[in-house]
Amino acid sequence: MISSGTIHVISTELTIGMFALSGVAFLLCLIQKGPESREAVAHWALLGGLIATPLAILSGINASPGDGIDNPLLANKMLLSMTSAGLAVGVLVRRKLGSSVDTRHAGIGMAAVGLMLTTAGMGGEFSRGETLLFFVPKETVMLFPLWASVVLILLGITILTKSAIEHRS
Amino acid sequence: MRVKIVFVLGILLLSTTVSTANPGGKGDDVRSRDCAGSCHASSSSNGVSTATLDIKFPNEVYAGLLIEVQTSVESVDVSSNNLVGMTLLINSDGAKDLPANDGWEVITDPNGGTNNYVEISDSFSSFNIVNRSWTLRAPSNPGNYELYLAVQHGTPEGGVAMSGISDSKSVLVEEVPENLPRLSPDWEPTNTRGLGEETTITLDTLNTESATVELMNGAEVIVIPVVDDQFTIPAAVNPGVVQWRVILEGEGPTQYSPWFRITAQAPAWDVDETALYVQSIALFLLCAGLVIMQRPKNEDDMKDYDNTNHVISTVDTSHDSDSTNAQTPPIPAGGIPEGWTMEQWEYYGHEHLEKLARGEF
Repeated sequence: MISSGTIHVISTELTIGMFALSGVAFLLCLIQKGPESREAVAHWALLGGLIATPLAILSGINASPGDGIDNPLLANKMLLSMTSAGLAVGVLVRRKLGSSVDTRHAGIGMAAVGLMLTTAGMGGEFSRGETLLFFVPKETVMLFPLWASVVLILLGITILTKSAIEHRS
Repeated sequence: MRVKIVFVLGILLLSTTVSTANPGGKGDDVRSRDCAGSCHASSSSNGVSTATLDIKFPNEVYAGLLIEVQTSVESVDVSSNNLVGMTLLINSDGAKDLPANDGWEVITDPNGGTNNYVEISDSFSSFNIVNRSWTLRAPSNPGNYELYLAVQHGTPEGGVAMSGISDSKSVLVEEVPENLPRLSPDWEPTNTRGLGEETTITLDTLNTESATVELMNGAEVIVIPVVDDQFTIPAAVNPGVVQWRVILEGEGPTQYSPWFRITAQAPAWDVDETALYVQSIALFLLCAGLVIMQRPKNEDDMKDYDNTNHVISTVDTSHDSDSTNAQTPPIPAGGIPEGWTMEQWEYYGHEHLEKLARGEF
């Protein structure tokens, strides 16, 4: 029997490893240096990290002591990782639709990677009480009212739908 | 440029320090000895603790009754966070060593929980002794039992995970005398409570005619009356621990219970999980949408200079006027040639005009 903690370690290392690789490749894209395969590496590694992300989130919630999300760090980890996943999905879809890897594209990819690495840093703070990220919010969570989140979801769906129609036309 | 990058990377690599696994601890839990240490530390970074470890039992231990056990850790220098993990075990084999395997039950650990492994932050040093109290329920079967105290900690220099275990500490668990005033085997104390609330505790006793509760308030001991087997501990203003014990009197010898500890703690952090999950989904969708709708940067730049529509409309307009002119060449003063229709003039009028211009007619 493997505990949630062990599963979380495996899935987290998968996620962070692939996101880190993607980040380096996006950095090369940004400065337009390095091998031509940098674009493919950046996007495929990002996809791999993205696939492992849900497992990391779910196993992390199960592995945390106590019931559910009972610590501000866990809540912030949740918000940051989902934001990062959203950016990563956007980058991949944008690329799939034929967008070129310009500085903006590479920058957004690096932002997604940065947010995911920050999430991992907060995990270190939560489990070991140590992190290099001294600025991570330990007691504050910026939580919208439910109605505001619903409005944002509708806004997001509208933007996604509009973008899909534009790309088709 | 490459040399500079290699130089910077080299400096970063050289600036790293070796650290043992779990320097901040792993949290209190029910742990076997093989899992209570630093799981990620390699054998080269492990060491044997110099700590002197001891366990003290009360003079009389009765089967199935609550007892207070004192553990002490002395003569040990630890890492800068002054953290030591203490484990109560029944053997030193690293397997089947949980106290529960021998019938022991941890009622209250030093941190107010019910774990056999606790992490204690205190002034550990080679000159200090750090004592902690555990409330245990003795095994229900009389006999000789053994307990061990194991520790895990870091070193002042860092880099090495130290572990140690005490010698075997034996205790004789006796049969309970028939008329012994005591707390019921089914009764368990309250370990935690919130701030600002009084705590009413109901006692369940056997062979007891009267009971008195003593509450330790700093160095002072306050006597609290027990009415209908109930007593009330005043509310706590700040987080902390209060200790109390009950003195039971009956036909048998007077009994003193262990000192029970109630930890007053601030309410746990709470969040509306539904709102959190919905906001996470919202951020996911919004970020994905905003990124997908981004146009490529070059496309934006080109957009400012894109006059395609203007050129197309201009070309169309000029083409239309030319074609109109082409369809209806100007009719000369003498009119269209005899026998021509207007449709023929529209198609061949230009040629006729050119011939006129060359004087061929």
